[in-house]
Amino acid sequence: MVSTVSPRHAVVVEDDADIRGLLVLILEQLDFVVTEAPDGLSGVEAVRNTNAELVTLDINLPDIDGMEVCRRMREFSDAYIMMLTARADEIDRLNGLDTGADDYINKPFSPKELQARIRALFRRARTPAAPAEDTRQTDELARAAVVQKSLLPQETVRLNDYDVAGAFRPSRSVGGDFYDWYQTSDGMHLTFADAMGKGMGAALIAATVRAVMRSVADTPAIADAFESASATLTADLDQSGSFVTMFHGRLDSASGKLSYIDAGHGLGLHVPVEGAARRLVSAGPPVGIMDGQQWPAAELQLEPGDSLVIVSDGVLDAHDSLEEFVRNVEKAARSGGTSDDVCAALLELAPADTAEDDVTAVVVHRRREIGRLESNDGGVAQTIRY
Amino acid sequence: MQFSYEVRDTYAEVKGVGRLNMVAAPKLREVVAEVVAGGSSRVVVNLAETDFMDSSGLGALIGCLKAARQAGGDLRISGVQPQVKMVLELTNMDRVLTAYSSAEEAFGND
Repeated sequence: MVSTVSPRHAVVVEDDADIRGLLVLILEQLDFVVTEAPDGLSGVEAVRNTNAELVTLDINLPDIDGMEVCRRMREFSDAYIMMLTARADEIDRLNGLDTGADDYINKPFSPKELQARIRALFRRARTPAAPAEDTRQTDELARAAVVQKSLLPQETVRLNDYDVAGAFRPSRSVGGDFYDWYQTSDGMHLTFADAMGKGMGAALIAATVRAVMRSVADTPAIADAFESASATLTADLDQSGSFVTMFHGRLDSASGKLSYIDAGHGLGLHVPVEGAARRLVSAGPPVGIMDGQQWPAAELQLEPGDSLVIVSDGVLDAHDSLEEFVRNVEKAARSGGTSDDVCAALLELAPADTAEDDVTAVVVHRRREIGRLESNDGGVAQTIRY
Repeated sequence: MQFSYEVRDTYAEVKGVGRLNMVAAPKLREVVAEVVAGGSSRVVVNLAETDFMDSSGLGALIGCLKAARQAGGDLRISGVQPQVKMVLELTNMDRVLTAYSSAEEAFGND
């Protein structure tokens, strides 16, 4: 054997030579073998010839439109396609279209952010929601793991001035952890839950919780939304003798105001830029314990530089006391780097070889205000922003 | 985890030694179901020698509580150790599962 790792190929489709050069550098740093294409048609050919795993695709190209390029690539390739656009407001529109792209990023982009996004794309399994191909060879646990993994959000949250990330490591027995998020017109909604139990039972309960929580997204008041969702869930949970601990939050991104409800989870932390971390105390028992339960909503102000960190009890179980747990979570949250890096550090708190349970972490970090350089054409002078 | 139980005059005491996790949780349910089926619906789970409980363990306790109440009785816990206390407080379940210092005290006043 000559080499144990075959090189990964990437194609950069971009008509501006300066930006193209920068993208090539960024991808080469991630050990991709990069092919450059100055227009759409040569981009499609390059993907075909190299069997590329990653494509960065400019939307405005001299020959054919980026969306058409994407459509043509999708006819034969399942490469990760990341679209670049100079207009931030276009992303919302693109998100609503079935373009076939995996992610969108707007110019000017930060090289570090782009690299973090690409790493995140490659950490996720391709088509996790698809059922196992050969059910004869997969036991129930493997199928439960597929269900559980399919619950994690596929879309990236892209809010100006926020860095949002999540990480999940299933246990061998498949627990009921999951997190979910989606963008709204004024920010984002976030659900973090742990369904009691293991295996397919827990995975199916988690799937139900996710669907029910999404169904109340348009209910204006968070307490009303939660009450309505929990009433639906309690009936289901009672039948299966289970319960769910949950943290549900709604972020207004402009003000940094987070409204949240904690139902028996108790493992959320506010890590302010200055001062000590504070654990967000639960407002009531888990969902599914009692009928007619109400959970009061609480509010938290996320200032620039602050983080909201939520972990599952798999992290807590690795600690001897709550104080030690809070100390270590805070330390991980302040360890620097992106929210992805912090999530990785949080998972490390529950070493894989000893953890009995799933381990899950979500970080919502409000970036410190930095002079953001705006540009209409995404010229290279404005592309670097750390 | 080892479970044992003893039926007393006004209640039954179930004792668990070790870690109340996903392995032990079904056993606890079985033992309590057996106790309740035997006619003792007032149950104390003595946790003085249970040094760890995870969410599966908590789920088992809640399931047992429901079973006892359905049979017209109640389930209470005693001798709660620090880690178990922490899990009960975090999940806000300390308001539902009342902790007593000893099994005798749990049904002492009623």
